[in-house]
Amino acid sequence: MSTAGEQFLRKAAEKSVDLEHRKLIRNAIDHYSGSVGRGRARFLDWEEARQRSHEIKWEAINHLDRYLLEFEQKVKDRGGHVFWAETSEDARKYIADLATRQSVRRVVKSKSMVTEEIHLNPALEKLGIEVFETDLGEFIVQLRNEPPYHIVTPAMHLTRSDIAALFKEKLGNIDTDDPPHLVAAARVALRKAFFSAEMGITGANFLVADSGMIALTSNEGNARLCSSIPRIHVAIAGIEKVIPRTEDLAVLWPVLATAGTGQPITCYNTLIGGPRGPNEIDGPEEFHVVLLDNGRSDLLADAEQREVLNCIRCGACLNVCPVYRTVGGHTYGTTYQGPIGSVLTPHLRGIKEFQHLSSASSLCGACTETCPVKIDLHHHLLHNRRNAVETRNRSRLERMGFKLWRWIMLGPQRFALLGAMARSGLRAINGLGLAGTVLDPARSWTKDRAPLRVPSKSFRALWQEQETTQGKEQDGAD
Amino acid sequence: MGPTENPGRERILARMRQALTVPSAKHWASGERKLIFSPINDPLERFQKECMENNTECLVTPDPKASAATIAGVLASLPPGEVFVQDSRQLREMASAWPYGHTFRWSLEGRPGEASQATITKAEALVAATGSVLVSAACGGRGASVVAPVHIVVAGIDQLVPNLESAFAHQRERGTISQNSFLCLITGSSRTADIEKVLVMGAHGPRRLVVVLSLHSE
Amino acid sequence: MSGEKSKQIAMFIPCFVDQMSPEVGLDMARVLRRIGYYPEFRKEQTCCGQPGFNTGYWNEARPLAERFVHVFRSAEIVVCPSASCTTMVRNFYSELLADSALRAEAVELGRRVFEFSEFLIKVAAVTDVGAAFPHRVTYHDSCHGLRELHLKHEPRELLRYVRGIELVEMPHVEDCCGFGGTFATKFSMISAAMGDTKAGNAESSGAEYVTSTDPSCLMQIDGILRRRNSGMRIIHLASILAQTEAPGAPGNVASSHGMTP
Repeated sequence: MSTAGEQFLRKAAEKSVDLEHRKLIRNAIDHYSGSVGRGRARFLDWEEARQRSHEIKWEAINHLDRYLLEFEQKVKDRGGHVFWAETSEDARKYIADLATRQSVRRVVKSKSMVTEEIHLNPALEKLGIEVFETDLGEFIVQLRNEPPYHIVTPAMHLTRSDIAALFKEKLGNIDTDDPPHLVAAARVALRKAFFSAEMGITGANFLVADSGMIALTSNEGNARLCSSIPRIHVAIAGIEKVIPRTEDLAVLWPVLATAGTGQPITCYNTLIGGPRGPNEIDGPEEFHVVLLDNGRSDLLADAEQREVLNCIRCGACLNVCPVYRTVGGHTYGTTYQGPIGSVLTPHLRGIKEFQHLSSASSLCGACTETCPVKIDLHHHLLHNRRNAVETRNRSRLERMGFKLWRWIMLGPQRFALLGAMARSGLRAINGLGLAGTVLDPARSWTKDRAPLRVPSKSFRALWQEQETTQGKEQDGAD
Repeated sequence: MGPTENPGRERILARMRQALTVPSAKHWASGERKLIFSPINDPLERFQKECMENNTECLVTPDPKASAATIAGVLASLPPGEVFVQDSRQLREMASAWPYGHTFRWSLEGRPGEASQATITKAEALVAATGSVLVSAACGGRGASVVAPVHIVVAGIDQLVPNLESAFAHQRERGTISQNSFLCLITGSSRTADIEKVLVMGAHGPRRLVVVLSLHSE
Repeated sequence: MSGEKSKQIAMFIPCFVDQMSPEVGLDMARVLRRIGYYPEFRKEQTCCGQPGFNTGYWNEARPLAERFVHVFRSAEIVVCPSASCTTMVRNFYSELLADSALRAEAVELGRRVFEFSEFLIKVAAVTDVGAAFPHRVTYHDSCHGLRELHLKHEPRELLRYVRGIELVEMPHVEDCCGFGGTFATKFSMISAAMGDTKAGNAESSGAEYVTSTDPSCLMQIDGILRRRNSGMRIIHLASILAQTEAPGAPGNVASSHGMTP
């Protein structure tokens, strides 16, 4: 297994037995499930909404070059700049160079998974720039110096007293662990940053081709402040975020909100096109959009899995995934976690290193059932597994094992004989009380479960006996 | 940015074009479109109901004069300080009804101060389906609807549209989308549930959103 | 008699049921006979190929799928006491055999393969199979049964008609039990934790037995329940339906075919 795979197994083993963690996540998810149930009920036809969203993304992704070019032209017409970044490094360099050229000392950021993906913050901090995460959850994990736990709720794994202690240490002046008090403390602390930063960096939930605008969704208002007050606004997004028309948002905004948090619609849905206009009172002097490829065009080339680019980063698949709920967001060790992360990461970062993510699933299908843009997620996990085998990225032992399995199963007598032998062996092991020990061939099952119940006779043997008995009875009757 | 300064651009485009020479399957039959949202029979009733649920204070008045008085009442409940107002003819007229004790900063003078107690703006539209307010840069600028703890929106019933689809269609016709660098669909007061999923009202944006809606113009 | 549909049923006994849970197959046959069908067992069958397919070994699974088509091609109806194996044949053979000459035949065969509860309700049109099982029971929705075959009320409908049964629902019943094929051994601790969550939910229903359409789910849940020293026991849906009021009748839970842990 790869290093990343071994790390995953280690962290998963720790978290799998952590019952406190399981309870915390369960509570957060139950809350979410209730909200989403109510949210879906507000639609006349939620399934139709999913289908429509899927079709909008299908159109966009399957004509990606066309819509991106339209978007680029419209952004430039409005006075903005567009930079196409092939790699994380290209994106980091563009933003860092811009910050240096413009003498930026302070940056305010709203939540953007893409900025995590390209590891932007350390690159800016190395230049002596102070970077403030302004989304409350991101602000919290930034203070703790850890990555976000969940793509929508970054601090899901922390209790209010954890956060109160953290704020007391870093901000001072904290009396209670009451959430409104903590939120107010964060607001005060970040206010100074908003009004003194030279650059605001945001992601974009959608890139709207026909109007040359980015769409930004937020509940807190921090993304709006990041894109209103500093004199430079940089928006960075994956190339797959483009949608054809502004009207598509009439479906996508409610769908994103419902799947993401159960709300009918998020508090602030902002459209930004360009720097401040000539007759406008305020707004940034410069507007830059960075379009990130970083492996997405390779995924585009995979016609079977191209639809994975439909993802609108709502986080719903994480919430319904029983694996995510068991191991939590930090175990994955990647920017994107849960089902979408497990499907996407092998494509973006290599199947050799990250195939274990696609194997660490029971393929229950809850993700596919819930995805608002109808990505066949669990099926693509299976495709990744097949791809890993076909590119010879599996262990020799495993490959031999399945060749043996095929040979056995192609011969019913072989199967019956070897099955009987295996059962005898297991019954002997169990009888000697060695189940679960290193001498137990079924140890990979029995180390975490009770010993297997092993019958003395197979179905085919018992059926044969029945037939023979009945045959004898009939002969006797005749 | 010219191609020499962004060589990645051509390479990305080339890769995409190559990728898309192989089509991906469409797993659905084009059929008749089903309705996603329930039709709205009474937009005003729906707007008011949604406002109650999303924590928007919706104050309905008979006419603009009454709206002015209502706003005066809201301002009176605020601590003294600067109130930022969108510079429009209608709001200038209403201002004569507003009490002293607040300093009014008009948008002509620039964006709202950090310490503004409230902002007063018009809107481009009100959306019944979600109980939302659509503002643009022309409604006092980007900061006007997010910087202060209280945001008051002055609107008329003719601005109320049933749903998002009609809002976009209408605004596109009026040129709002092409003529503004900023639009925002605001639904309720700012909030966060990042701490233990407990919903807290008032994060970085306003804590209170007040819509003063007059049923008749003049 | 002319025009009456044949009552011959070919049984598809999954490889691990054959070797590890033979009573499930025998109980299914018992019920089929009781309602007037003639189950037959084609002993050429071995495995549908799912373990290899799910682990990504499609080249190894493909010949098994083709063999399955050969074995069952002449059967009018095939019934299987496992939703996951039924799913493999009905929902996934077309993809696995996409380039095979047997693809069209496999798709056709898939339409004639049924999971056991599905067969009873939708084909045999029977809800009352004359069963008796006076115990409190909770039903676990297997992922394949629920999301691939869309079975939700069929098994419950059959259970409702069982005399003396008290059916209770567990919380989070649609959550995966954690089996997932080779996932159970490759990521055993995650699988066991998921099973632990499922076992806890099952126990909280207060039931004595947990049942399902899938012997693989039950094997997982059983392994966890016994590890937790739980008083709760597993029993396959077919085994409940095979129980009758006659005491000591074959198929009653008391006779357990020489099973030892």
